[in-house]
Amino acid sequence: MRRGWIQLGLIFLAPLACLSAASAQQLRAPAQVTAGKDFSVSTNGSGDGSFYLIGPAHAAKREIKLGGEVQVRGEEIEKAGRYTVIACAGSQCDSATIHVQPDAASRLSLLVHPSRVRVATPNAISAVAFVFDKYHNLVFTQQPVNFEVTSTAGSTITASRPSSDGVAWVRLTSASKEGPAKIAASVGKTTEVRIVRQVASDACNLRIKAQPNGKRIVVETDPVRDCSGNAVPDGTVVSFTQVGPNGKTTVDAPVKKGVARVELPAAGPSRITVASGVVTGNELSVGGRP
Amino acid sequence: MIRRLPLLLCIALLSVPLFHVSAEDGLPKVELSASNLQPRPIEDLTSKSVPRDYAHAWQTMAQALDSNRVDLINGYFTGFAKEDLTSRIEEQKKANIHVRYDDRGHKLEALFYSPAGDAMLLRDRAQLEMQIMDGDKVIDREQLNIQYMVMMTPGADRWLVRALRATPEEHR
Repeated sequence: MRRGWIQLGLIFLAPLACLSAASAQQLRAPAQVTAGKDFSVSTNGSGDGSFYLIGPAHAAKREIKLGGEVQVRGEEIEKAGRYTVIACAGSQCDSATIHVQPDAASRLSLLVHPSRVRVATPNAISAVAFVFDKYHNLVFTQQPVNFEVTSTAGSTITASRPSSDGVAWVRLTSASKEGPAKIAASVGKTTEVRIVRQVASDACNLRIKAQPNGKRIVVETDPVRDCSGNAVPDGTVVSFTQVGPNGKTTVDAPVKKGVARVELPAAGPSRITVASGVVTGNELSVGGRP
Repeated sequence: MIRRLPLLLCIALLSVPLFHVSAEDGLPKVELSASNLQPRPIEDLTSKSVPRDYAHAWQTMAQALDSNRVDLINGYFTGFAKEDLTSRIEEQKKANIHVRYDDRGHKLEALFYSPAGDAMLLRDRAQLEMQIMDGDKVIDREQLNIQYMVMMTPGADRWLVRALRATPEEHR
């Protein structure tokens, strides 16, 4: 009979004991904290226990006294994201989730494409800025990002774009004058700069002149420029075509010091034309009508 | 029944490699939606390679966090994501902790694809079971519906995870 009472007592007391043990490890942790900032987690109960902190770039275990505050140092939570804190007493564990938010926006990663672009090309340049905090966490809350383009002539164009999901971007038209363009993006006090080289576009208004030189004709272009007046780079190929009594001859010559020059045979009346890429220039008749 | 025995044996033998392929494959299910993507439209090939490579990234990350092997994350992670995982795995190893994921799938939504095609930002809604273990003892077990923000960039032959961060749902 007495043994029966003891068994009955155990049946009722065991769940209470378990409940008490479970509540002993109850954790109270903040739902959100800021990256790099110290915070504390409070535990209930008494005696020795283990405390775990597991996050995106961190995992640690330490022994604690239950019933007190567990201090978490800012350097343990520099990476934003989801952290799990766990306190265990023996085999009984309790856990909580903490979201670590990024610190203030203070860094930018700026991607600018292309690094070399033809002048006066609409929407040819793209600038993409990713916004980070000082711990390299992407900052997803909206931030004003200022883009600034400074050309060689010193003129500056600015545009402000709010970041969305940590990114802000703009498309830009290249300037009409060749030379480097400085593209800057800034958030707060941080500025990132990239240089885009703007180069002359295709040749425009291609003109040639011819001069007899014994049994040959020297044909030379005027300084070869694009439609905005920028000198095309040396090495740009210019094609000279001569149609005469001996048929059709085409000679390619690179631009050197701004002009392209060839010597063609003076074999009776002929017609000479010039082209560079898809652009054609004027036509000359030499040695009388062909 | 005895006459059917060879046939049953053949079926059993043939089905072994099929199960094996399925087990070896073992990639988590990843669905990609790119309907709201801007400013660059997604290419056909990219729309296939991003979910495939993201699935591989999760598979290798789960294996790395369970076995505490840093070398497993080399294939599909780069930049800060790789540095962070490396640091975590090394610390897990020191503390004798490992984390086991039962991956039940990912719904990826592509949000931003840079004009030059060199970075993509995505949101992942993942369903996971996560077990945190101290040695062989499970110290925490959670069923998670969790949102990740992901940055992927193209590598030589695949897309790599450059940033991976769990965010509270109210982020957007």
